[in-house]
Amino acid sequence: MLKGSNIHKSFGDLEVLKGIDLEVAPSEVVVLVGVSGSGKSTLLRCFNFLEHINQGTIEIDGHEVNPKKDKLSKIRAEVGMVFQHFNLFPHMTVLENVIEAPIIVKKMKKEDAIVLGKQLLEKVGLSDKADVYPSKLSGGQKQRVAIARSLAMEPKVLLFDEPTSALDPELVGEVLEVMQQLALEGMTMIVVTHEMKFARNVANRIIMLDEGRIIESADPETFFGNPTHERTKQFIKLVD
Amino acid sequence: MELLKTIFEVFMNTYPGFLEAMLITLQITAVALILGTVFGLMFALMKISRSRILQTIANVYITIIRGTPLIVQIMFLYFGITTLVVLSGFWAGAIALGIHNGAYIAEIFRGAIQGIDKGQREASSSLGMTRAQSMRRIVFPQALKRSIPPLGNQFIITLKDSSLVYIISVPELFAMANREAAQNFKSLETYLVVGGYYLVLVMIFTYLLRWYENKLDVDK
Ligand SMILES: Nc1ncnc2c1ncn2[C@@H]1O[C@H](COP(=O)(O)OP(=O)(O)OP(=O)(O)O)[C@@H](O)[C@H]1O
Ligand SMILES: [Mg+2]
Repeated sequence: MLKGSNIHKSFGDLEVLKGIDLEVAPSEVVVLVGVSGSGKSTLLRCFNFLEHINQGTIEIDGHEVNPKKDKLSKIRAEVGMVFQHFNLFPHMTVLENVIEAPIIVKKMKKEDAIVLGKQLLEKVGLSDKADVYPSKLSGGQKQRVAIARSLAMEPKVLLFDEPTSALDPELVGEVLEVMQQLALEGMTMIVVTHEMKFARNVANRIIMLDEGRIIESADPETFFGNPTHERTKQFIKLVD
Repeated sequence: MELLKTIFEVFMNTYPGFLEAMLITLQITAVALILGTVFGLMFALMKISRSRILQTIANVYITIIRGTPLIVQIMFLYFGITTLVVLSGFWAGAIALGIHNGAYIAEIFRGAIQGIDKGQREASSSLGMTRAQSMRRIVFPQALKRSIPPLGNQFIITLKDSSLVYIISVPELFAMANREAAQNFKSLETYLVVGGYYLVLVMIFTYLLRWYENKLDVDK
């Protein structure tokens, strides 16, 4: 579904990703962990082509993306991204946020987009908020709108960059619930999170990133029960 | 007391002419601001474009306009343009003020556009929008809303700056004050009165602007 091979990414002299190989199967949920600065966000942003990789290749559905030739906007539409700080469009209502991209990018008819948008808002439990502006929502509600907004483009993969880190603790659950539901429905996802309970229950695979390299990749049971790398053991102690 | 009385007399004697002149002041200010907004938008877009040439053109324009006195620009334009085409003082003045304003408004727009959170553009990119689409649908509407208070300020500045076009004989408020003072020999009182006109206009506009800003805050 999504495959990165030998991904290298530097910012100036700082090499942040040092040869990442990661293949995500259809309907797989991969949780990405690692200490701050290990390159988790950068890796997600490379998969979304918000950053240009210096070396390596990225394949989506067996098609190797060539950032020079392919239209990046088209490829980005296939890879959804949910941000830590939601990044909702403040000048649009909740429903308008959700239907904007289908109308503008996919040229969907407005009536059809509205039907789709309402369906998605119902899915994330926010039907009653369709006509309010984002500033009137709680953090948890904002993030659920952001998820609906991404889903509206029917992406093949959905990337989450610490979707609950900016939330008050009591609002984390409602967002994780929506994500878990998506996973059950077969959505392919890569999730950067510190929510270890979510990782344990929902992930098919947990990957540990350390200084720009993958040092551990295992199913949750093995990851927590029998990690091979010393850094992983330290990390698990830290978060548990 | 005596002074107040003469001021009142001057006011009563001058208001027919001053009201007419005030209209011209408001007109030239409005035209200058509309032109300035068009120029400003154009040069702001050039400044944030990815073309080096366009950026440089915009920078040169902004540097020259901000680096020279408005009165010089007015004279330069008036004598420059009128050798090419026949143009009334009003239009020469309005265009000069418009070009002048354009440089400041360009900076207002550029600041507002660049002040929009980077996350907005990233979110629209990640949804598959092109740079142009995300500018048009996401960034500009938000930037425009944020530009309105500084644009209002610019309006106030222009209103006062428009007095400089008296130099090319546009019969606006300040030119009218000069004329009246030359006739009634009561310069002090006449200029006090004309200052009052500007002050009242500015205060009305400031009030409207504040009302609008409050409304914006409530919407947020
Ligand atoms: N645009 C950039 N320019 C320069 N350096 C950057 C940029 N983005 C990230 N970095 C650097 O790359 C490294 C990895 O950053 P990244 O955001 O990917 O880490 P992370 O694992 O997501 O950390 P966190 O848990 O804090 O979010 C950091 O040292 C960061 O300072
Ligand atoms: Mg990060």
